[in-house]
Amino acid sequence: MDLTGGFGARSGGVGPCREPIGLESLHLGDEFRQLVTTLPPENAGGSFTALLELPPTQAVELLHFTDSSSSQVAAVTGIGGEIAPPLHSFGGTLAFPSNSVLMERAARFSVIATEQQNGNISGETPTSSVPSNSSANLDRVKTEPAETDSSQRLISDSAIENQIPSPSQNNRNGKRKDFEKKGKSSTKKNKSSEENEKLPYVHVRARRGQATDSHSLAERARREKINARMKLLQELVPGCDKIQGTALVLDEIINHVQSLQRQVEMLSMRLAAVNPRIDFNLDTILASENGSLMDGSFNGTPMQLAWPHQAIETEQSFHHRQLPPPPTQQWPFDGLNQPVWGREEDQADGNDNSNLMAVSENVMVASANLHPNQVKMEL
Amino acid sequence: MASADKLINTDVPEKDVFAFHFLQSLSNLRKQNPFDTPDQKNYRVRKIKKAAYVSMARAAGGSSRLWSRALLRRAAKDDNKIVRFSRRKRKVTWKISSKRRRSNQRAPVVEEAAERLRNLVPGGGGMETSKLMEETAHYIKCLSMQVKVMQCLVDGLHYNKN
Repeated sequence: MDLTGGFGARSGGVGPCREPIGLESLHLGDEFRQLVTTLPPENAGGSFTALLELPPTQAVELLHFTDSSSSQVAAVTGIGGEIAPPLHSFGGTLAFPSNSVLMERAARFSVIATEQQNGNISGETPTSSVPSNSSANLDRVKTEPAETDSSQRLISDSAIENQIPSPSQNNRNGKRKDFEKKGKSSTKKNKSSEENEKLPYVHVRARRGQATDSHSLAERARREKINARMKLLQELVPGCDKIQGTALVLDEIINHVQSLQRQVEMLSMRLAAVNPRIDFNLDTILASENGSLMDGSFNGTPMQLAWPHQAIETEQSFHHRQLPPPPTQQWPFDGLNQPVWGREEDQADGNDNSNLMAVSENVMVASANLHPNQVKMEL
Repeated sequence: MASADKLINTDVPEKDVFAFHFLQSLSNLRKQNPFDTPDQKNYRVRKIKKAAYVSMARAAGGSSRLWSRALLRRAAKDDNKIVRFSRRKRKVTWKISSKRRRSNQRAPVVEEAAERLRNLVPGGGGMETSKLMEETAHYIKCLSMQVKVMQCLVDGLHYNKN
């Protein structure tokens, strides 16, 4: 096949060594055999043995080639490492035509490998570098599909990663976890992304061509959260939907909040100016306000006698958000006005205006007629 | 945006709840101060303003919103009253230390606006930007409700004056 041809052409020194070569002669042979024996019982179908089956003699050739050419092989931890430095040396020293072919095959098999033995990966130390290496390839394959320079990047990446075993493995584990997370939502890439805000963590679909490490995923989820809320705010603030650009929208929102706060201040100043004129006996008003809804046609005079004892009863029955049901006792002012229980159906503004006007009318009347001692009783 | 509203809850009570709370706070003010103190207008203005904010916070749902909680805490601290929810406050301050450090990395445009918002919205200092925007939405709704109530009151009183 290509590999043997390439090997044969590359180094004449390899040729005579070919015949006596058995696995025993390689100082890596033990690991290799160990791997070969351990792998088949664990994997049913495709796995590294498939990869190994494919070019059985060529694998040997590869190993022998590296043995003769570079000293990197001594540093590796497993057979994955054994494969990678040869490839690294290939990428570095010669333009190996079937390099990409080999990598694609490795990637393909590693895809199958990781899919089949996701659970077993972390458990095995001799094979751990292999599947993690292949998952790194998986990462690369999934993120940069069908690019010609990807194979060289694969080689250099895997070589670099193999020279730094433990932290890179953690990295790869992290990436694998992200891919599992991504896999939970969808296995193929989608242009749409969604977020689910109720769950403890967010399922996000990666968009095509975007980076997929954990940081950028979280970053993207967060950005989308913020954008959703910004849309909500835009609807709230008048005149914000027409504005383009987040900065201006945010400025508008801030201006709106500031103007509202200033309005509160203005109104409180006006209230303070009005205040000393009126003796608020609001307890009574509020209590009876609580019990019945007054509309604008309210006549204050006959009510004052009824207020004190009504006030005591209704104060106890006040609910926070809802109006209390009609009281069982007879309201003396039923004849004067009909309690409007269906007030919610009316327009809030007009009704509230009339209501508050009624309140203020009562205020005037009450201040004129009620004795302050009477008021203190209810407190 | 119906789907977004399902996830983010920004309901505020009806206007009469706000009205009730505000009038109640005004009556409390009345009880405290002697009648007819024309001097120190600013003092009265400040009192009324504070009463407005506190009543708004109470009407909006007491401690179920971060901003209302922070507002009530601030008001209580000014009056040297006993603060009820100190445990929650510790949780919020923990968030300050962990989230604030990293917030500068993200979308600087949004972040500087968020900084300004934090100064405006009570309790904004301890919140993440997305949470801050939720609170701002609710705060804007409550503020506009309170403004409507106060406007009605002022108009009514003014009308009765004439």
